[in-house]
Amino acid sequence: MRVTLIAAMLFFMALVAFGLIAALYGRGAPEQDLEAQALQIEKQLLCPQCTNKRLDVCELQICKDMRALIRDRLAVGSSPDDIILFFSNRYGDSVRADLQASGFNLFLFAWVGCSLFLTAGVAGWMLLRLRRSAVPQPFDSLTGVDEQWLDSQIGKEVSE
Amino acid sequence: MNVLGTLGSASLVTALATSIFAVAASVYGHKHGHGMLIRAGRRAIVVTALFSTCATAALVTALLTDDFSLAYVASVSSSDMAPYMKWAALYSSQAGSLLFWVWTMSLFMAMFVVLTVPRISWGAAHATASCGVLLAAFLAALVFLASPFELSSFDLNDGVGLNPLLVDRGMLVHPPALLTGLTSTSIPFVLGAAALLSGRIDGAWIRASRQWALLSWLILSVGNILGAWWAYTVLGWGGYWGWDPVENSALLPLFPLTAYLHSMMVQERRGMLKLWNVSLVLATFSLAVFGTFNVRSGLVASVHSFAQSDVGPYFLLLLALTLGASLVLLAWRSPRLRADHDFDSLLSRETGLILNNYVLITIALVVLGGTLFPVFSELLRGNRITVGPPFYNDVVGPLLIGLVWLIGVGTVLPWRRTSNVTLARRFRGPLVVLMCSVIVLAILGLRDPFAIMGVLGALFVFYITLREFILSARWSRRVTGRNWIGVIVELFTRDRRRYGGYLVHLGVALMAISIVGSNIYQIHERRTVAVGESFDVGRYTIEYVGLSERDGNSNGVESEVIASLDLRVNDQVVASLSPGQRFFRNFPDQPMAVVAVETRLLEDVYVFMQGWDDAGAVEFQAFINPLMLWLWIGASVYTAGGLIAFAPQNSMGTVRREVLTGDLVRGS
Repeated sequence: MRVTLIAAMLFFMALVAFGLIAALYGRGAPEQDLEAQALQIEKQLLCPQCTNKRLDVCELQICKDMRALIRDRLAVGSSPDDIILFFSNRYGDSVRADLQASGFNLFLFAWVGCSLFLTAGVAGWMLLRLRRSAVPQPFDSLTGVDEQWLDSQIGKEVSE
Repeated sequence: MNVLGTLGSASLVTALATSIFAVAASVYGHKHGHGMLIRAGRRAIVVTALFSTCATAALVTALLTDDFSLAYVASVSSSDMAPYMKWAALYSSQAGSLLFWVWTMSLFMAMFVVLTVPRISWGAAHATASCGVLLAAFLAALVFLASPFELSSFDLNDGVGLNPLLVDRGMLVHPPALLTGLTSTSIPFVLGAAALLSGRIDGAWIRASRQWALLSWLILSVGNILGAWWAYTVLGWGGYWGWDPVENSALLPLFPLTAYLHSMMVQERRGMLKLWNVSLVLATFSLAVFGTFNVRSGLVASVHSFAQSDVGPYFLLLLALTLGASLVLLAWRSPRLRADHDFDSLLSRETGLILNNYVLITIALVVLGGTLFPVFSELLRGNRITVGPPFYNDVVGPLLIGLVWLIGVGTVLPWRRTSNVTLARRFRGPLVVLMCSVIVLAILGLRDPFAIMGVLGALFVFYITLREFILSARWSRRVTGRNWIGVIVELFTRDRRRYGGYLVHLGVALMAISIVGSNIYQIHERRTVAVGESFDVGRYTIEYVGLSERDGNSNGVESEVIASLDLRVNDQVVASLSPGQRFFRNFPDQPMAVVAVETRLLEDVYVFMQGWDDAGAVEFQAFINPLMLWLWIGASVYTAGGLIAFAPQNSMGTVRREVLTGDLVRGS
């Protein structure tokens, strides 16, 4: 039993370590060509006119123009962050597909944190409360309809 | 006089009157002990459903007969639409979808008062009155704010036709399933309200609500799955879930409802979580009302939402009243919602189910926050931001992976308590399988930590669930001597709820693997090619053969431009694809993509056409979506499991057999 528990602990520690190493490894993405870089930037932007439609898949002329502009700016050496900032300044933050964790947006992340901890608190409170002695509820006597239903169910059970 | 319009309007007014009568008769009958009045109230609900059906039939007839003197018909239909699209136009816009909502809700309530209410003498009057109140509230919106039977201001020879986004056969299934799923959440709500109002807060209301909650969950799940399928095959962006605000609104009620289906087992077996369970059903319907408010108010911009209208403030009021009434009832009865037993051990299924509920409700809160945040941003800062898929993928994704793991853990844990030795023995096998899986996944080249955790969680669920089936079947074979297929069929027959539930879990595991594959390992290429040229995407080569134009013949389609593509693997043509664009007569600035999908066992090849130039060069977008087919297979398994679990069974037999078969097999 102890051996099993130790093995389980070691396994999960190895899993976590593996995950961390893989995450760190994954961050060092290989250098992409211009077209691949442009596509990555497009996926971080939304069409200014459509609702929630990514720039890379929108067929409107304004999106075609934006995609051409991205390539022009990449060709002259602009960074992806600068390009995204450019469009954000021009069309507003609603063109950013990714939510920036700054300013007013921090309220949403605070909401996420509160949700995690609030519901954890509720779950923990439920678990603790249910470990105290419970109070059995007084059981009202059955009505005639309930008695008949119960008898019919028991009768079926017996006959099976 | 427009006969259909008059008939429809009169039917709605009469339905409103009968729903109000149902409330009055039930309340008065209960207060003064007049059983006849209580029964009259139930019949009034059935009559409300009949008149709602009459109103719906009137509108459908108007659509099918091209009665453009009705403003609604003129705004959503046209004479060249196929009959099945004219039917779909019924629920394609504000007033029609509200009528469809009321119609389906009244049908559910009619079935409820006929099938269930006579068996719940403790709360018959309360349940009937609650049905009447809900129906009256929605009918009032139809009668006074958004009637589909208003006459056109002008004499029109033809209508505008359906929005191009909606011209697809998917309209026949997705919106009806979703709307029906949302309205069906009213039944568990009514039962919860009846339990609180009557004070009968023991297991009686749980037993009465189980089948209705399961039905609601099933229809709502199917509605959302069909929505994903439609987004994938019609909207043309390479994916199937965009975390659109209205998509989120349809998904939100599913979380507390799923939580309820699990936590109700704890109340049934142990008399615990009473307050929590009734809160969940009240929250489920409240979120459904929130969803309809979201769609109809213009609060959020979405491809699904209707234009801003007068009903927005009304539904906000309705939502506030629903929430307020729920909180008041809960506060009033909370002293009586004490548990009958306490926890024997934290290492028990009860704890697993509470953790499962914790994750589901957290996801619901996060999605709700993300859906409403743009609104608050605009209200407070005058600046609307977009909360898009990256936020949800980063926050909800890990929670969903955790949920998948909890499915496996919860299935292994026994009720009440067990010894450490038994617990270790139960987890030993899964741990070995997981360790081997990690090695296999590493060899296969998986590096993304979320992908690894998601796939491992799914494999964990597979192993645990299949082990449950095999152990139970093996024991049954030993006792009965039947073959494997016979005993497995018997498992489903004998205990539909448990094994149907296990099948649902298998479906979830399949979908989880597909979601990981299609999201994290999607390949995307965009190329502009001339006729005869080709480009590579993944291991495929796509050759552009040519472009053709054809006239549209119905549903407002003026013309279609279709490209012919050959899909090659190692120079062998394996399929032909025909992506294109569709142009609509009355919506010249809104062409729709015609998506071409080649579905294969391990991946989908997904292509759509972005545009073309005068020289005939066409811009294509091509995606390789790994394991996409398994999302639909998983969804089918999930749905089949839900149908099996829904099938009625003798509840006392179920409990006895669970004790005999399940616990005996596990040796606890």
